[in-house]
Amino acid sequence: MRTKISFFYGTVFLLLSCNPSEVKVPSDATASEPVAEFDDGGETVEVLTTHWINDANIGDGNGPVTDSDLRASQSEATDRWIQFGGDYSNRRHSPIEALSPDNVEGLEFEWGLPTGTIGQFAASPLIYDGIMYVTSSYNRLFAVDARTGEIFWRYDHQLPNDLRLCCGPANRGASIHGDKVLMATLDARILAFDRMSGRKLWESEIIEYYRGFSATSAPLIVKDLAIIGVGGGEFGVRGFFDAYDVNSGERVWRHYTVPAEGEPGYESWSGNSYETGGAPAWTIGTYDPDLDLLYWTTGNPAPDWNGDARLGDNLFSDSVLALDPDTGERQWYYQFTPHDVWDYDGNTHLFQVDLQHDGEEVKALVQANRNGFFYAINRANGEFIRATSYMEQLNWAESMEANGRPVINPEAMPSEEPTMRVCPGALGGMNGAVSGSLNESLGLAFLPVIESCQLMQKGISMYVEGQFFGGGMPISVDGVEDETGEVPSYGHVTAMDYQTGEVRWRHYDPQPMMAGTLSTEGGLVFSGSQTGHAFALNAETGEEVWRYKLGGGVRSQPVAYELDGDSYVAIASGNFGGISAFSGANVSMIPEGGQLYVFKLDR
Amino acid sequence: MGKLSVLLSVFSLLALGACGESSSRASPADSFIGDDAAIQRGRLIFAGTCAGYCHKLSSERTDAPYLFDCEWVHGGSDQAIYNTVSQGVSGTRMIAFGENFPEGPADLWKIIAYLKVNRQSCG
Repeated sequence: MRTKISFFYGTVFLLLSCNPSEVKVPSDATASEPVAEFDDGGETVEVLTTHWINDANIGDGNGPVTDSDLRASQSEATDRWIQFGGDYSNRRHSPIEALSPDNVEGLEFEWGLPTGTIGQFAASPLIYDGIMYVTSSYNRLFAVDARTGEIFWRYDHQLPNDLRLCCGPANRGASIHGDKVLMATLDARILAFDRMSGRKLWESEIIEYYRGFSATSAPLIVKDLAIIGVGGGEFGVRGFFDAYDVNSGERVWRHYTVPAEGEPGYESWSGNSYETGGAPAWTIGTYDPDLDLLYWTTGNPAPDWNGDARLGDNLFSDSVLALDPDTGERQWYYQFTPHDVWDYDGNTHLFQVDLQHDGEEVKALVQANRNGFFYAINRANGEFIRATSYMEQLNWAESMEANGRPVINPEAMPSEEPTMRVCPGALGGMNGAVSGSLNESLGLAFLPVIESCQLMQKGISMYVEGQFFGGGMPISVDGVEDETGEVPSYGHVTAMDYQTGEVRWRHYDPQPMMAGTLSTEGGLVFSGSQTGHAFALNAETGEEVWRYKLGGGVRSQPVAYELDGDSYVAIASGNFGGISAFSGANVSMIPEGGQLYVFKLDR
Repeated sequence: MGKLSVLLSVFSLLALGACGESSSRASPADSFIGDDAAIQRGRLIFAGTCAGYCHKLSSERTDAPYLFDCEWVHGGSDQAIYNTVSQGVSGTRMIAFGENFPEGPADLWKIIAYLKVNRQSCG
């Protein structure tokens, strides 16, 4: 029987004092310091009052997650969602056919989970063995009965009060390997837990957070490695991503995204600007088991909006890198935005697809880049195939050269007295914090899009380790009323024919889109709005077929799963006003606070 | 009660005075007011360091306070603003900048001067 105790803080302390070995579950009182230690099988375990442990038998008996499970296509299993992207193809596409436009009206609220935290609830939950593993803002990790919402265990990471966060206290999800669940944290650490009990197995510091680093992504599991990158592009860090042994927590390799002196690409940085060059690796990558290549994207060079002191292309910022996953050695790269001065990053969601190109089938990556172009890249060798705009407004580039290098509009460069509305704005056409989805049967990728142009203000750059190093700012002119009283910014979910790079349909929303999408084989696309609604669209037409008021703005990545023949959709609400305003959103009376909603299809 | 009302009124007037530019106590920031080059430098350091994804030029709701009105969460006097920037605000994204500006404390006073010059009327 699972122990579940909800005591006052003092009661727990008293119990621990009397018979520590019998206390399995700390209370839900909050405290920032450990309150006790107790002997658990010969090891001393630090107990936090906010860490709830489980000792009961839970789950459906599926056993550990194997490498074979991780390599399997999502199309082979409806009862699980064991990777951020569903599977290594990263398509976030559920094979559930029952979730269709014909019956979606039967999708009803089943259970909910409050996180107890504010800030964006950005996670993509994992589903395995009848258990949901979901992370919240400020690094809470919950293990929950996926059928009922009953909490099995919870870990609440105790964070320092001087985090270096450009963009809020986000976490986008956990990862799973064997019987371990892993999470990276805002103070740049990575932790592993026993997936049944919630006990912490190991914890490793990625790097000192106070130097400007953080980690917000779910780790990617490849073989026995957990791969995680860092944020810090607004703090002038030298970006990197790491591989950790999932069993020991030991670091196996580190790949710097900015070359050191003498390394290839060093010549693309003027002076010693590479030392503070940014290029963070703050989102999750993807892996092709057949090619045995790991793909990871990189963010903006630092400082963001003033490139005067970092002349050159600034390799390998704003790029996609292909690496040997065993060694971390780079095999090829492609740079989307050389010498980025708009904070366009390169970090948006990568999809693996088979592309018909020049009469041949090409293993490709397609990506809706933050800079507004939808790219197709040969994922075996990095060759540029095509880039077309997925936006209605794109003016920072005048055209695209045949080799995939954009031709810059010189008027779009940041200046001390900016007058041009540059499109897309700094959060991009699609932001890396949210994910898209892709339905191979329909040949469509579903993209959440921001249409909000900005003035790009150049300022004075000032580098001090651990301090903001933006060199300028985006001015959200489209997020406020213009002279006609209208707010120009808006959003849409766009269906992109990824074989041709053409837009098939758009579904408009009054606010810029800042939530991920989920597609289903039954022909639906789920997402949510900054005004606090979840919605479902007909994947073939874009017509809205279902809507539900969640209350909080949606920044999460929905998932779907099927248990005992019942179909579920999980979507979280909870926004972060600091970034919402920079997306051009013009919303009010939307409360803070994270809440997960799980819907079940009425049979 | 009468005395209390008078005291509250005096306190309110003092508070309003502190919010506007009518404060009689001079601060290092005041020495830069009227100096176009100094105000421009304050503006560009503000843009390069304080703005980014934090303080906006317009008053939409964010987690970082709008700095061109009269509502100061951590004190609106020049010295209070200086202290907030240099010491940070624990538990928020406002980290402590110390006096780590290219020209030291003078740059921070120029930022404050820029804010004062562009402050909206306190009504």
